[in-house]
Amino acid sequence: MATILRMPEVLANATAAVVSAWIVDEGSTFSVGDTLAEVETEKALVDLPAEQDGILGRILAKPGDTTAVGAPIAVLIAQGETEADIDAVLGGAAASEPGPIAEPGPIAEPVVAEPARVAAPIASESRRLFVSPIARIRARDNGVDLETIRGTGPGGRIVRVDVEAAIATRTPEPAPAAAPATVSSASPSPNGGYTAIPHTGMRKAIARRLTESKSTVPHFYLTTECRVDELLALRARANESSSVKISVNDLVIKAVAAAFTDVPEANVTWTDTHLRRWDAVDIGVAVATDGGLLTPVVRGVEALTLTQVAATVAELVGRARAGRLRQDELEGGSFSVTNLGMYGTTEFSAIINPPQSGILAVGAAKPQPVVIDGQLAVATVMRCTLSVDHRAVDGALAARWLAAFTTRIENPLSILI
Amino acid sequence: MPKRRRLEPGSPWVEFSTTAADWKNADPALLGTMLSQLHLIRAFEETVLELAGEGLVHGPAHSSIGQEGGAVGSIVGLRSSDAINGSHRGHHQFLAKAINHVTGGTIDPKSVVDTEVQTVLQRTLAEILGLAQGYCRGRGGSMHLQWFEAGALGTNAIVGGGVPLGAGNAWSQKHAGTSDITVSYFGDGATNIGSVLETMNLTSAWKLPLAFFIENNLYAVSTHVSEATGEPRLSARALGFNIPSWRVDGMDPLAVHLAMKEAEKTMRKGGGPAVIEAEVYRFFHQNGPYPGSAFGYRTKEEEAEWRARDPLDRVAREMTTLGLIDADGVASVRSQAQQAMQLAVAELIEADPDQAGKRRIKPDLWPNTDFVNVGVRGDGSELADTRILEPTTFTGETESVKFVDAVAGVMDHRMADDDRIIILGEDVHRLNGGTNGATKGLAKKFEGRVLGTPISENAFAGLGGGMALDGRFRPVVEFMYPDFLWVAADQVFNQIGKARHMFGGSNPVPLVLRTKVAMGSGYGSQHLMDPAGIFATSPGWRIVAPSCPADYVGLMNTALALQDPVLVIEHVDLYQDMGDVPSGDLDYYIPLGKAALRREGSDATVISYLSMVKHSLEAIEQVGIDADLIDLRWLDRASIDWDTIGESIKKTNNVLITEQGARGTSYGGWLADEIQRRYFDWLDQPVQRVTGGEASPSISRVLERAAIARTEEVVAGLELVIAGRGGRR
Repeated sequence: MATILRMPEVLANATAAVVSAWIVDEGSTFSVGDTLAEVETEKALVDLPAEQDGILGRILAKPGDTTAVGAPIAVLIAQGETEADIDAVLGGAAASEPGPIAEPGPIAEPVVAEPARVAAPIASESRRLFVSPIARIRARDNGVDLETIRGTGPGGRIVRVDVEAAIATRTPEPAPAAAPATVSSASPSPNGGYTAIPHTGMRKAIARRLTESKSTVPHFYLTTECRVDELLALRARANESSSVKISVNDLVIKAVAAAFTDVPEANVTWTDTHLRRWDAVDIGVAVATDGGLLTPVVRGVEALTLTQVAATVAELVGRARAGRLRQDELEGGSFSVTNLGMYGTTEFSAIINPPQSGILAVGAAKPQPVVIDGQLAVATVMRCTLSVDHRAVDGALAARWLAAFTTRIENPLSILI
Repeated sequence: MPKRRRLEPGSPWVEFSTTAADWKNADPALLGTMLSQLHLIRAFEETVLELAGEGLVHGPAHSSIGQEGGAVGSIVGLRSSDAINGSHRGHHQFLAKAINHVTGGTIDPKSVVDTEVQTVLQRTLAEILGLAQGYCRGRGGSMHLQWFEAGALGTNAIVGGGVPLGAGNAWSQKHAGTSDITVSYFGDGATNIGSVLETMNLTSAWKLPLAFFIENNLYAVSTHVSEATGEPRLSARALGFNIPSWRVDGMDPLAVHLAMKEAEKTMRKGGGPAVIEAEVYRFFHQNGPYPGSAFGYRTKEEEAEWRARDPLDRVAREMTTLGLIDADGVASVRSQAQQAMQLAVAELIEADPDQAGKRRIKPDLWPNTDFVNVGVRGDGSELADTRILEPTTFTGETESVKFVDAVAGVMDHRMADDDRIIILGEDVHRLNGGTNGATKGLAKKFEGRVLGTPISENAFAGLGGGMALDGRFRPVVEFMYPDFLWVAADQVFNQIGKARHMFGGSNPVPLVLRTKVAMGSGYGSQHLMDPAGIFATSPGWRIVAPSCPADYVGLMNTALALQDPVLVIEHVDLYQDMGDVPSGDLDYYIPLGKAALRREGSDATVISYLSMVKHSLEAIEQVGIDADLIDLRWLDRASIDWDTIGESIKKTNNVLITEQGARGTSYGGWLADEIQRRYFDWLDQPVQRVTGGEASPSISRVLERAAIARTEEVVAGLELVIAGRGGRR
């Protein structure tokens, strides 16, 4: 019998998603496990598998449409069923199905792709968004989507500062067109020509999460200088015999894991009620993609060999750039590594990726004068800056961890053992 | 065995009745006038009952039928500049005074009604019906009849409530150098209420020309006077206060008149008040057209006996005996009165086109409903010529003065400048300026104008109210502690606050009431309230609450110039504070409705007044929030500075109202309500408040501190505001 396929809640607390492509065409048959469509969330592109055999009777959500979680995106039919069966199931959708069906999820507003074909809005529970009056008006006047904002007022209420932060961090909207005469007669305005690039879901998510991090997580920073001549030599030797290419970053990831083994009390994350001290070392690896920054997580790094780390990272980076990461691969972890050394950046500090409690910003390894035993010498030095969530980790502990990390990097054989 | 000596009351108490000789000696014109007035009032009251029976009188119509003799006998000899006031049953007194005023005190029974009398009848009936042409523009109705020009100060629906106001009028008459008197009418029920007894005491102490005229009709609604008091000879009340007292047959208008003349003689020559008890009888129940016997609290036989003593018949009979009138003449008087009433009714009432056989009020005679709030207070135009100076932006030379010295200083200056200003209150004339030095030096310098009162707030507040209504003097009343407002609540709220509006909206009530908040002084649960909230939610009052000496000077000057009752709140914590004031200048005015911005910031709006301004400032600095601090200065809903408040809220989006006192009677409730409705879309969080606790502050030092708000509580309130705006400072 005809069934309605609804937009799944791909990401926890997601309210909407986009069908980026239908893999199965309208009218085509499919088998259980076949990918029916690709669904894009803020963070990932996921395949929507068929749960049984059938025919894709009618597509309701066109590619590119934003659809509320829980809203119908297609009607699946069995052999022999007709348009009439499709209409019947759609017509009865609201009346005969009390409450949330399929994958009930919080729905901000019923966004139905094809209202003409749907008799009534889907019965659904609205997630109440608490917003102060002035915040609501500022958001409306500035085109800020309140759904993308985390409230910092009492009970999670979105207050004015939250909206102002969202306004401040986004790409400027195209200004109202100035009178052409002004443009031509005056010298080029400092705010002159630009192209307005609409936000992608990922862009919005990056903005929201990093704003939230920077405005709610009390960051502090520690910088270390590591002499990496030995590490670079070791890497060169390892690459001679390894099937996978090992990068400096892979070594850094292993050193991070080893440092957490040395200082396990630093492997913690903050929650409002308690600290979580993690058993394993799961490390996010920052990956620059065309769409923006992604941070897939490598699990249990302390138990992986260097080659396994290198292979895993390479595989994750590849899929990240192809936009084919699964949502669960983007979640969790207590710490991240970000590396701009390949661009020649010597030193930078990074924003923590919540709910993690730290991130290590790795700069370029460059030869520079150093003093060894009172003698001036040249060594290759890599600067690393640790950003720490002070709620979870105090300065002394962070310093101990960073010292452990530095020791591991400067004694690279210890990373491998 | 102890020795005994019989004590005598200080003043005489006499029972008074007429003889045939008195009637014979009476001026025939007086008798004719009384007969005419009695019939006019009787016909008027019969008309009111008839209209009430048709449902055309909204609310109660307390008939005076049977009691006309007391009013006519006592008023017929009064001057227009003499004044009366009365109670809920007051049509007869009002008509007698008004008719006396327009006729000059004499009516020929052959020609009872002239145009002016006709107008009085129609406008009084219109007022009772609630119509725009009434004396109080339809606002007062049956129970609030006022016509100042005729000396009718206003009747009162609170039993005994008008008596202290009458005393204030008598004070003004005496101190304006006239020999005029005031008569305050009330019933047997009112002789047991505090306002009346307190006023007897006060007028006796101050020798004021006030006649306490008791219309003893034996029943307070259905309760007989002998059930309500151990001394049903109500004129005996006077003896306890050393007031001369007369007991007279109120069904005999000539007896009342002669008793009144004796009493007037004492009063007009400065002998102080008089009590006159007239035994009268209302022929009907409390209100409506049925006799009391229908309700079972008295017998038909008793009613028949009193009806046989009808004052109209008594005067007609005596005049007939004397050959001054015959039966036709009496019938003609009655007929003239009835015709006049038919005419008055015809002007106001018409056949109801929708209901056959029914009548209705002519629709175009009702007041406009947009008149409903007009005249709750004045429009402030009396301040037009005052010299404005804003201390916060003053750049001239200043000097540092102590707050309490500014209080006494500005009053000294104004009193020297304006002879009308009179100070009343407990101990204001002694102790070198009252309990706090706020009236320092004034009693000596302004003899007779700084009046130490008996401990009877209701009486002396009401006396101030009566002075204000009269307008010849400017009373400045002091309550030693704000909580005493409850003791004087009837006068403060029912009378002073409502008088202007209730009587039509145009007779002003310029009065200043000073009091001091004393939280922190250890005076405990019954002395430590902040009165702002109670006054702010009561109509008619303006409120100022100065936080520094310079504001006190400017605000007191404005308060004294206003034609409205103004509460001036002081605080014991501020009295010893030093503050800069413009040097040698006590003549500036701070405009009505201007707040002061004590500190400017962008993240929160803190609204405060009085001593909490400095606590709020301290707290803001301690917490380190960038806040506006608004010192309201003017607190009542008509005078509050919405421009300053609105501008700040639109900037900061976060509001904290700080006050010191107990939450229940606190001020900020109405303000928070108003703010959320005016500025909802500008708010980033609920309007937050700092107040004291639920309990009234106790005497124990630690419990008192725990019950009130100071800097620490404002700090906590600011932390709440910070959390409410997302935790950022």
